[in-house]
Amino acid sequence: MQRKNLSFLLANPLAGVFVALLIIFVLSALLSPYFLTSYNMSVIARSLAFVGLVTVGQSMLLILGELDLSLGVIGGLCGVVAGMLMMTVGVNPWVAIVLGLAFGGVLGFFNGIMVTQLGLHSLVLTIGTAGIYGGINLVLTKGVAITNIPKQIQFLGRGDIVGIPVPFIIMIVVLAIAAFVTLKTPFGRYLYAIGNNPAAAAMLGIKVNRVRVLTFTAAGMLAALAGLLMVSRLGTAQPSIGDTWVLPPIAASVIGGVATTGGVGTPVGAILGAAIIGIIENIIVLFGVSPYWQGVVSGTIVVLAISFDAISRRYMRRDA
Amino acid sequence: MAFLEVEGLGRDFPGVRALDDVSLKLELGRVHVLAGENGAGKSTLVKLITGSDPSPTRGRIVIDGKDVAENPEKFRFIAYVPQELSLFPHLSVAENLFIPYDRADFTGRLVSQRALEREAQVYLDRFAITAKPSALVRNISVPDQQLLQIARASTNKHMKVLILDEPTSSLTTTEVERVFSVVKSFRDTGHAIVFISHKMGEVLEIGDDFTVLRNGEKVADGRIADITERDLIRAMSGSEVSFEEHFRPTPPAEPPSGPPVLEVKNLSGHRFHDVSFELRHGEILGFAGLLGAGRSEVMQTIFGYLKAKTGTVRLRGQPHVLGDTSHSVGHGLLYLSEERKLHGILPQLSVRENIGVSILKQTMARFGISSSKERALVKQIIAAYDIKTASMEKKIFFLSGGNQQKAIIGRAMATSPSVLIFDEPTKGIDVRTKAEIYKIMKRLAESGVGIILISSEMDELRKCASRIVTMYAGRQTGSFDNATTSNETLIGAIFGSGSHSNAA
Repeated sequence: MQRKNLSFLLANPLAGVFVALLIIFVLSALLSPYFLTSYNMSVIARSLAFVGLVTVGQSMLLILGELDLSLGVIGGLCGVVAGMLMMTVGVNPWVAIVLGLAFGGVLGFFNGIMVTQLGLHSLVLTIGTAGIYGGINLVLTKGVAITNIPKQIQFLGRGDIVGIPVPFIIMIVVLAIAAFVTLKTPFGRYLYAIGNNPAAAAMLGIKVNRVRVLTFTAAGMLAALAGLLMVSRLGTAQPSIGDTWVLPPIAASVIGGVATTGGVGTPVGAILGAAIIGIIENIIVLFGVSPYWQGVVSGTIVVLAISFDAISRRYMRRDA
Repeated sequence: MAFLEVEGLGRDFPGVRALDDVSLKLELGRVHVLAGENGAGKSTLVKLITGSDPSPTRGRIVIDGKDVAENPEKFRFIAYVPQELSLFPHLSVAENLFIPYDRADFTGRLVSQRALEREAQVYLDRFAITAKPSALVRNISVPDQQLLQIARASTNKHMKVLILDEPTSSLTTTEVERVFSVVKSFRDTGHAIVFISHKMGEVLEIGDDFTVLRNGEKVADGRIADITERDLIRAMSGSEVSFEEHFRPTPPAEPPSGPPVLEVKNLSGHRFHDVSFELRHGEILGFAGLLGAGRSEVMQTIFGYLKAKTGTVRLRGQPHVLGDTSHSVGHGLLYLSEERKLHGILPQLSVRENIGVSILKQTMARFGISSSKERALVKQIIAAYDIKTASMEKKIFFLSGGNQQKAIIGRAMATSPSVLIFDEPTKGIDVRTKAEIYKIMKRLAESGVGIILISSEMDELRKCASRIVTMYAGRQTGSFDNATTSNETLIGAIFGSGSHSNAA
């Protein structure tokens, strides 16, 4: 019985990434006395929250067999637009946040409509829309940050509840909803079906395009949420928000077991992948690695992680 | 001395003995039939003798008098043509023939397109392929593609053994003849041919010797001349499969009242024109025609996967919305594609998830999909349709073709449809599983489901259909009562000749 439970754990596709996360966590704790301090933990959790929200959306798109490279820019643009609504137009900050979220949904929706109605490849389309959305950001702000964001909403980005950063809590709630949707609802099953075989999904009577558009919309809203939380954390709406949210969520998803070809993986796995990347980036800083080298080190670790995954998968296939 | 000799060959995979103690002798100038049900070990054996799986667990392979374990270069004598088309669709016919170029003695860094095409024409003539060497492969006909695959294998100058894995599975009678004449010419020029097929008639016609595998072991071998179809089927399945009987549904005692299940009027669409027919309660309506006659297109249009140009469809008397597959599924009209891999299975998902995606209405509980309900229902379906799988968590990709097909049928039936369209449901499926699928279709028809069966095998249609609609080049050429129509009349209608008599 005991052995059966153990093998069940090992068979879980999340086991590999979870063990990897554990090892990296323990190693980091052993290597640096500063790693386990509550201050450092909350730094990691807070930065994981922002990239994590984008990762949840991106991973669901990847499961669907799509990809949105404009998510980072959507986060930045929505943050800036909400900031302008508050400061320039004088809208109530809470209303501005809701409008910012809705705007993120609209931008994602536009990506989804273009992909489904014109049959465009999402990778190519979103390279284009990333240019458009990022350009609008610069046109609106002329590259200058909007300062003095009202204190009343800064709690969302800066606050803690029982010592846990608020954005991290929000991210975990979003992740729980995403996990429920992917595993327990018809919509989730449709994601996997379409990601596996869009033609077969259509033959099963699944409204393929509707699922695609909805997922693009949700991913856009999550990116906007990340952007808005970042604005409230910084207290300024900076045009550069979201610049670093493009590739890490994709790398995190792949490390967490989401196939770039679609149909496989979970948002939870993707967040574990994001946590691995987050801890590595943190430990590089703690060790005082030259910033010039940081990209090389973290990039190498990502390449190692996905190579390891590919090799272990090859052995599993031989088993089956 | 046989050219290729296999002795005591075995191959284990973790937990599975895929092949055990198999011996085989291939002689030059003879056609050797390799028979067996899906999952009998034919592919494992082929992979070992082509060298694509270089590590047999037991036994040895001797080619041209040398053990290949020490002389792996002997594998160059073996050419293999897989069942699935594996051509480069965006390259020309000539390029497809000779890639990789050095194998076909095109050496040097530059490849002259003209030389390539000149050389290609020689092969095309030999195989009676009508396509031009410069044509892109995606634009040539499926029979030409299938023959091109064989031609490509034969550009291997060292070839002595040619292995053909179901070379006729997507061909109709005339095109099969072309394949046969190619096989015979290779046989007469001193090659050994291994012919794998589920079509008994073909096997008996073309074969000289045979070997039957079952559950990874050799259960019979000998000369084709010494056996009958019945012997062969018995050896393959290990039991008597009564194949003389037909599977036509028994018509209901009293003619059903009310409108037909499905009524199609003057439907036109992509590659077909002006098709009208009725599907009545409790019958299996067969659709016969050549490859590309437009039968699949008609059905996919009714189902909503392709767009209709004109025409109307009524489902149980009600006008049916065209162009929306989810509407069709919601109203009980289902289509099971001939392309299982392309349109049927969700390869990376488990058997449970593949079936589960169609029974969500039944598995939804208050807090989302109930895994226990889902498991119970899937278990029922696996049992009811006799789907052979180690566990419901196994990826469907790893199941044999026949079991994938049964899973797809079981999944469709779980939604209790009123019309089920089968498009070539037994393509690449062994005799026993075929009979099981026929029985399922008959049972469904008799329980009131309207069944449409598209098939390129005349034998299959004659065995199963109540009535047969024939199509030629996108047009309907007739509608016949199966029991009272001669083969000649049907074949005439399939080839678009003769009077378009409507007997039914």
